[in-house]
Amino acid sequence: MELTQDYLDRLDAVQPKNLPPTLDLFDEHTARKGMRLNKAAYSLKHEEQRALFAADEERWMEQFGLTTEEQELMRSRDWIGLWRSGMSIYVMVKLLGVTGTALPDVGRQMRESGGVDG
Amino acid sequence: MARVIGGIGASHAPSMENIYDAGEEVRESDEWQPLFGPFKQVAEWLEELKPDRLVVIYNDHMDEFFLNAYPTFALGVADTYPVADEGFGARPLPPVPGDSKLGWHIARSLVADEFDITICQELEVDHGVISPLPMVDFSEGESGWKIPIVPLAVNVILHPLPSPLRCWKLGQALRRAILSYEEDLSVVVVGTGGLSHQLTGPQFGRVEPEWDQKFMRILAEDPESLTAYKYEDLIKLGGTESVEVVNWLAMRGALPLDAKPLVEAYYAHRIMGYGLQTFEVSA
Repeated sequence: MELTQDYLDRLDAVQPKNLPPTLDLFDEHTARKGMRLNKAAYSLKHEEQRALFAADEERWMEQFGLTTEEQELMRSRDWIGLWRSGMSIYVMVKLLGVTGTALPDVGRQMRESGGVDG
Repeated sequence: MARVIGGIGASHAPSMENIYDAGEEVRESDEWQPLFGPFKQVAEWLEELKPDRLVVIYNDHMDEFFLNAYPTFALGVADTYPVADEGFGARPLPPVPGDSKLGWHIARSLVADEFDITICQELEVDHGVISPLPMVDFSEGESGWKIPIVPLAVNVILHPLPSPLRCWKLGQALRRAILSYEEDLSVVVVGTGGLSHQLTGPQFGRVEPEWDQKFMRILAEDPESLTAYKYEDLIKLGGTESVEVVNWLAMRGALPLDAKPLVEAYYAHRIMGYGLQTFEVSA
C-alpha cells in the first residue's frame, strides 16, 4: 500500500493536536483568519508606516482592508481580541512601540484571558 | 577542506539585546550576571578557537519573512546581512559580514541532499541572529563583527513546521556541506532560540526549568532521541514559542555524536528559560 503506516504517522504528527485550551497554535486556521491584521502590524517594520501611524492612525488602518471589528480591536488596544482574531505575537510586538505599550501589560491581559477561544 | 570545530546553543530574545545595549554594568549586575557571565566564558573560548565562520541556525520573527510566502528552510548566500528593523528602529550595529561563496556551496550541497531551501541573496537578520551574536562573536568593545556568518532560517512560526527529525537531518546535511567545502576553514555551528517560553494566552510567562535542563542534558548525551518528540509534546513541555529548540537540535546534528558540552548555563528569569551550551569537537 502506498499510504504506509510510517507515512500516516508522520502526517498525523505534523499537526499538533490535543493541546489544552490554554495553549494555542499558529496554523492554517489562525493564518487565514489573521492575514489582514498581521499585514497591518507587519507594516510597522517600516519607519514611514510608523510615522503614518503616529500622524493619523485611521489613515494607516485604511491601507489594510480591515473589517469593522478588526479596526475596533486596534483602536481599543484589545490585545486579547487581536490575538484571538489571528494576530501573531511576533507582529503584535511591532505595535507595542507605536502604541506605547509594554510587553508585561500585554502579558497581564493574556494571563487574564481565560483561554484560546475565550 | 573545511572543518566543524564546535557548536553553540543559545537562547535569543529582545531582552538580551536590551541588556547588552545597556552596557557592562547592567550585564554584570546580580540580575543578569547568571546569563551574561557564561556568555563571557563562551567569548573567551571562541577567542581561543578562532573559528573562521559561524553558521547560524535560527528563526526569523516576521522581520524578514512574512505570511504571504513563508519559507520552511531559508539560507543566506549574501556577503552582508543588514540588521532588521523589528518595529523600533534597527539597533545601531553594522551589517554582519557573510560569505557568499560558502553560502552557495552549502546551498548546492543541501539541495543535492534533498533539502530544498529558499536561497536568499538579500536577508535582514533579526534578534534570532543578532541577540546572541555580539556575545559569541567576541566583538564586544570593538567596532564591527569579527566572524563572517552564514544564516540558516527554520520555520518555527507557521504550522506545519519541519519535524524535529527533519531538523536533526538538516544539521547532518549541513555537516556534509561544511566538510565538503574546498577551502580550509574552521566552522562553529550555532543554534539559537528557546528554551521554554509562552507569549500568548493564559499561560503567558510560563517557564519550565526542569524540562529545559533535561533538554540540554539529552542534547548532550543522546541528541537523536529528541527526534522522537512531536511538536505537540514540545509545546506542552515548554510552551508554544519553545519549539525554537529544534534550531539547537539541528546544530547538534551538525556535530559528531561524541561532541562534549563545555560551557553550560541555564537561567530561568522573568518570562524566559535562558539556555547556553557549547560543544567541543575533538580534532
